[in-house]
Amino acid sequence: MAQGSSKKVITKEDWEKRLNDVKIKKEDMNKLVMNFLVTEGFVDAAEKFRKESGTEPDIDLSTITDRMAVKKAVQCGNVEDAIEKVNDLNPEILDTNPQLFFHLQQQRLIELIRNGKVEEALEFAQEELAPRGEENQSFLEELERTVALLAFEDVSNCPVGDLLDMSQRLKTASEVNAAILTSQSHEKDPKLPSLLKMLVWAQNQLDEKAIYPRIKDLSTAKLEDPSAS
Amino acid sequence: MPSASPSTSSGRPADLVSRLASPDRGARLRALRELKNQIIGNRTKKLAYLKLGAVPAVAAVLADASDDGDGDGDGDGSCCCRRHDLLVQSAAALGSFACGVDVGVRAVVDAGALPWLRRLLVSPDEKVVDSGARSLKMIYQSKLAPKYDFLDHQNLEFLLSLLNSKNDNVTGLGASIITHSCQTSAEQWALYEAGVFQKLVDLIGGSVSQRDASLESLTAIIKNNHEVTPKILEFENGRALNLIIKFTIDKSPRTRLLACACLIAVSKTSSRYVEGIELESKLIYRLLELLEDPGQVGDEASFALSSLIEEKEDLQKLAFEANAINKLCFHLQNGLSCPKRLQGILQALANICSKLEICRSKLLDLQAFDLVSDALRHDCTDIRVAACICLRSLSRSVKNLSAGYFMNETVIIPLLQLLHDPSISVQLAALGAISNIVIDFTRRKSNFIHCGGVKLLAELSMAMDPVVRSHSLRALKNLTFLADRKCKEVVLSEITASALASLIRDPESAVQEQALALVRNLVDGCVQSVDYAFTENGIILDAIGRQLQYASKAEIGIQGMYALSNIASGSKVQKDAVMDQLFQHGGMNTQPFIMRFLHSNDNQLRTASIWVLINLTTSYCPGAAGRVLKLRNAGIILQLKSMVNDPCLDVKLRVRATLSQCMKYGDSTM
Repeated sequence: MAQGSSKKVITKEDWEKRLNDVKIKKEDMNKLVMNFLVTEGFVDAAEKFRKESGTEPDIDLSTITDRMAVKKAVQCGNVEDAIEKVNDLNPEILDTNPQLFFHLQQQRLIELIRNGKVEEALEFAQEELAPRGEENQSFLEELERTVALLAFEDVSNCPVGDLLDMSQRLKTASEVNAAILTSQSHEKDPKLPSLLKMLVWAQNQLDEKAIYPRIKDLSTAKLEDPSAS
Repeated sequence: MPSASPSTSSGRPADLVSRLASPDRGARLRALRELKNQIIGNRTKKLAYLKLGAVPAVAAVLADASDDGDGDGDGDGSCCCRRHDLLVQSAAALGSFACGVDVGVRAVVDAGALPWLRRLLVSPDEKVVDSGARSLKMIYQSKLAPKYDFLDHQNLEFLLSLLNSKNDNVTGLGASIITHSCQTSAEQWALYEAGVFQKLVDLIGGSVSQRDASLESLTAIIKNNHEVTPKILEFENGRALNLIIKFTIDKSPRTRLLACACLIAVSKTSSRYVEGIELESKLIYRLLELLEDPGQVGDEASFALSSLIEEKEDLQKLAFEANAINKLCFHLQNGLSCPKRLQGILQALANICSKLEICRSKLLDLQAFDLVSDALRHDCTDIRVAACICLRSLSRSVKNLSAGYFMNETVIIPLLQLLHDPSISVQLAALGAISNIVIDFTRRKSNFIHCGGVKLLAELSMAMDPVVRSHSLRALKNLTFLADRKCKEVVLSEITASALASLIRDPESAVQEQALALVRNLVDGCVQSVDYAFTENGIILDAIGRQLQYASKAEIGIQGMYALSNIASGSKVQKDAVMDQLFQHGGMNTQPFIMRFLHSNDNQLRTASIWVLINLTTSYCPGAAGRVLKLRNAGIILQLKSMVNDPCLDVKLRVRATLSQCMKYGDSTM
């Protein structure tokens, strides 16, 4: 115990007592939950939550439906459909986000290659992707990587094969989602992660000064005994 | 549905354009949607369709659908819905053509689409309003949008209605119009009086897009206006100012930049509000931080910084202390792919090094000089200009000029090449840098001559553009400052005496001044230099005399008289020749120019004129007596006597010196 450190020790009992003294409003928690559901796009859940808790979302739920349709289309590889939907939602988004537009076109090419439509893919690369590279030099490197897919017989095993992974689709889908949220003047990240990060940071700070019941597993928020190392 | 076909299912683009004119509404709508989806985000396709005349076709669809009111276009129940779709889609397509494509903006304006788009703003259908507002906003983001007349009452009312709207896109449009068209102080005042700024301050507290748009508009209203700015800032005890300052630390980089830009405009107009260097110091730190942004915000941050510190030595010092030079050079070294950013960085470096030696030394210490001189060869005109201006700032370093740092081929050759540049602004910028570099104190001017520099400057001294002529003469003047005979001979042989004589009599006074200054430097120094004024039968000397007779500007008189005084420091023949020049021009009833100059209010002019007289009357030179007599007969000595107590010390002392020289030659009390 006496390690020469002057850290204060707080027992679990004491800690829980102090925690009880802190008042958190139910409405605040509801808002956090709603914000999470809305930003992540869980529209049915958000609707139900709104009915059951009476919490108003800070965004029109119908726009969530549109946004989720776009996200889903990309995740299923229907990029052209996604593009049309985004343009219906707000034609400014792709016109003012060259990087996003490039990534969507890139995804289209990837899908063509995945489906074995090599000729069409070549034509598409030439007609649609090459001009993007000309318009903007910073895309050239990524463009080269994508086009390299066409050079390989066994695409799933080539150096740029990661482009065919699901993760690439998810990455693009996430990018579109963020762009739509931004265009709606909504924060593209939910508040909940920031709150948790703050918690982790605060604990790290406190670790230097005291020994107390920490939360190790964020998903359970269980208070660990302070005597445990 | 997952369509895998990359090219349009409709076939060729020309077909698509012709389908826009289809009598069937449904077909038109399908064609519109296809077109819109093809061009959004795709600059190449926009340009291609523009060439095919797509814009007038789309504008026609818009006009037709707008006109149609409740008419039943094709007799089916969904017509109202179709009409709404046609309006939305055609507006969206037009907006996309205008997005970031100047040619597109022009096409949309020329097709007469603006009134139709405006009409959409009052539609009961929110989607239609959005569509119209977005498209108009795109148009007003371009310089080619038509100017909005704020001084017209109806226009002002309409603008206010836009700013009062609950619709984000519509208020954004209102703000865009202000940012685009508000230029004169009369307009700024009109907007202030109409209460626009109040609305803008309210909007700053709104959504992200409203906030950004309003910050930009506020900057447009404040810029350079000494009447409006204080009023805005005093509003509600500085609430507006505090709000803007708050947003300099917002999460969004774009917001931070726009807030900084607004404060820079305030600082430049009304420094009272940013007194206590604190705010400006904070701005510098914010902007340096924004430089790290990889996108457009980072590009623009360097321009903002440049503007903030321009001509302000104290701010340049602050920036130096904030490590600005390291940061800017770091970005310079990172192989920037974006021309805009490179231009901004060079401009910022040019400004920060414009007055302070510590800044210049730092840049040179960081080995960044080569990057600057490399930029002289860049493809982009603006970058070449910025690189030259940066070099000009650096070459103000006397320490490095003395060390001959700049007078080497890696710098001179690209600079001289720029004198042939198709762009006049590049030529002028290069001349600016060259003018400094040729003041090399190590006498390594031969480098410059070997690279053909004198020849080029001489060529440019006969250019069409008077500014180019005067700047190249200035460079030659600097080159001949304290130069050796060899250098002077090269200059005179390249430019030729007759050309120099004609430049002395150039229609532009700035050119005359530099030409005379060049002569002054040529004839300065050893006695043999004076001969240069007499080449080709004294054509140069004669030109000086003629020009001085008609000179109205003091600067011209000053250079001319100093040239004459240098010539008058020569032999008897040369002194007599100067005397002739003083009296032969002008007819019987015109005062000799020297008399006119002695009466001038300009101290320097009087001083220069007295120097001529001192040199003409020096006693150890033969012929002095004759010259003094002539001067006395012309009333010059009398004039000098009236100047013995001239308020300017230089004049007073020289007058007395001249008179004491003249006293040796007869009665000075006449």
